[in-house]
Amino acid sequence: MHQEHDMRPILKHPLNVRIFHYILLLSFLPLAATGLLLFFKPLSQEGMQLTYDVHIIAGIVMALDAVAFTIMAFDRVVQFIARVFSFSGRDVKWFMVLGGYPQKFLLGKKVPIPPMNKYNSGQKLFGACVLIGGTVLILSGLVLWLIPHAAPRDIVWFLGQAHLVSGLVLTAFLPVHLFLAVYRFDDFKAMMIHGNVPYHDAAEYTPLWVKNEIAPVATNGEQLTSK
Amino acid sequence: MNKKKHLFAEDSFFLSRRKFMAVGAAFVAALAIPIGWFTCKLERRNEYIKARSQGLYKDDSLAKTRVSHANPAVEKYYKEFGGEPLGHMSHELLHTHFVDRTKLNS
Amino acid sequence: MTTTTYQPGEIQGLIKINASKCKGCDACKQFCPTHAIHGASGAVHSIDEDKCLSCGQCLINCPFSAIEETHSALETVIKKLADKNTTVVGIIAPAVRVAIGEEFGLGTGELVTGKLYGAMNQAGFKIFDCNFAADLTIMEEGSEFIHRLHANVKGEANAGPLPQFTSCCPGWVRYLETRYPALLPNLSTAKSPQQMAGAVAKTYGAKVYQMQPENIFTVSVMPCTSKKLEASRPEFNSAWQYHQEHGGNSPSYQDIDAVLTTREMAQLLKMLDIDLANTEEYQGDSLFSEYTGAGTIFGTTGGVMEAALRTAHKVLTGTEMAKLEFEPVRGLKGVKSASVSLFDTELNQDVTVNVAVVHDMGNNIEPVLRDVMAGTSPYHFIEVMNCAGGCVNGGGQPIEGKGSSWLGNI
Repeated sequence: MHQEHDMRPILKHPLNVRIFHYILLLSFLPLAATGLLLFFKPLSQEGMQLTYDVHIIAGIVMALDAVAFTIMAFDRVVQFIARVFSFSGRDVKWFMVLGGYPQKFLLGKKVPIPPMNKYNSGQKLFGACVLIGGTVLILSGLVLWLIPHAAPRDIVWFLGQAHLVSGLVLTAFLPVHLFLAVYRFDDFKAMMIHGNVPYHDAAEYTPLWVKNEIAPVATNGEQLTSK
Repeated sequence: MNKKKHLFAEDSFFLSRRKFMAVGAAFVAALAIPIGWFTCKLERRNEYIKARSQGLYKDDSLAKTRVSHANPAVEKYYKEFGGEPLGHMSHELLHTHFVDRTKLNS
Repeated sequence: MTTTTYQPGEIQGLIKINASKCKGCDACKQFCPTHAIHGASGAVHSIDEDKCLSCGQCLINCPFSAIEETHSALETVIKKLADKNTTVVGIIAPAVRVAIGEEFGLGTGELVTGKLYGAMNQAGFKIFDCNFAADLTIMEEGSEFIHRLHANVKGEANAGPLPQFTSCCPGWVRYLETRYPALLPNLSTAKSPQQMAGAVAKTYGAKVYQMQPENIFTVSVMPCTSKKLEASRPEFNSAWQYHQEHGGNSPSYQDIDAVLTTREMAQLLKMLDIDLANTEEYQGDSLFSEYTGAGTIFGTTGGVMEAALRTAHKVLTGTEMAKLEFEPVRGLKGVKSASVSLFDTELNQDVTVNVAVVHDMGNNIEPVLRDVMAGTSPYHFIEVMNCAGGCVNGGGQPIEGKGSSWLGNI
């Protein structure tokens, strides 16, 4: 039953994705913090101005990150959309056991879960929320920042609400995302460091992906010897 | 950075060409349609002001009398009560003075 | 003793920002003609009362409805309407008739004069159209302009300087009073139509209505928040002064007892269960509802100028203008100007009158005033309205969610 761990690397997160993710991470954390401050307004006038400035600068960074990635890696964006909006009976079954995580953490027992593709159903839901929420945040943020006076009043109000709701939803996802990211340490290292997951990890968590979409990369001597 | 070379990668053509086009088009449309709608609303932001002004110009063009000096009620006012424009009564009731508000104290 | 920009008795701090609703988005600052709104971006904003003109442009343009009025006469007016010993005179500004319908589901800009008369009559108001007073304003202000023009051409002193500024807009008047007192002699001394209406309703009107002036309660319905401040100016009790001189003996009363904005009038009608959209048309109950097309266009930018030119042409040349529509002063351009050449029968020579029309005052007035101060202004007569588009887009008008007052570039 116990196999040797197959450590052969599979490229899961290419370099451009990792750079995009890093910039997103570094801009979103200050955005979430300053966003909450802007909502509750606990600081002095000077403090709020600083908060506002940080929010704007981080927002510009995030918007540029998103635009640049969309333009430079349009194929990956399309693939990501196709993945997160794919839906099958497996997703229903996955959500019925919540991926087996509560059972694992709370009861210490393993329940069978349906085979997943590159992203499991929870990751797909999160991905869809980030995609839609992020777009809403960027576009509404631009209007609220640049033309709250010129845009029609009701639309500005609506965009304000949309900005608030999207921001709160994505901020609420943040601790869950961080916890599960660290829990899946192989995937964590792939996203934060070298992009690769070991074969056994991929086969365990993302069997459909390995089965349907993974192909060997043409190898040459140079690649094999490089460490 | 990429110290550990990978032996496997995902087949970048896992989406059919057709599906790729469809998803890409849907994505672009989902962005472009709301932005287009918004731009249109933004450009029409002053229409309500123009519509109200048009309402007043319509009132003007429909009016029996369109010049102030021909208003029979105004004539009647001056004849029965006000005298004449800039006259004594006008000075008392219809004219005023202004206040230099840089010199007020409380 | 501290300095203030208010006379005793005037409404102060009419426009206020509700701190719990303010998002600190800075939209309001873009509309304030006097930069009276303070507050860092992202922090709660506040209004400097001494600088504030009470124009209400920030109020109608706040996307989060965080800006409010602190004074409402709604309750008082309802009490007065119920009082059988009081004649409540409703003075209706031009711009109200093309906006109040929106509050009752009618189309934007729909002209509802007859229905508004009907609804207000049903509520118990006597109808006094402020357009009648606008016609009076043209007679007074137009005559004053011709007087100044002639004195200027003849080189007579003491007639008042040119250019002459219009004085209908209380925001604009307060702007000059607080910032450019040196230019006050250029303001026409004619009262605004609202104040003329109040003074006439309680003097000549007392005869028409056969009422004691003390029992006449004048309520003006205005597209404007600043009209509340104007009505509270202590010098605007000229009807009372008139009656004191003619043997009256009563405590002082204002020419205008209460001001309701267009929004508040809609609220009042709704409180009284009157649906303006389905009200019978009504023609009015006295000569005070007789008005001209010249009076009604006061409510839009360029309207005062157009109306004044129609009458000035007749007075100067003896004939009516061939085409009454004077297109150069219409539209939403920030500063509109025109030259009119005509034969002046009194001077027996041709005169050219240069006129300018300014609205969206905060964004457009400064260069014009600089020229006037320097003595290089080419104009003889300048109409100024604070709000973008004139009174139709005043701070007291129904708030059109689909729009914004911003006329400038994005």
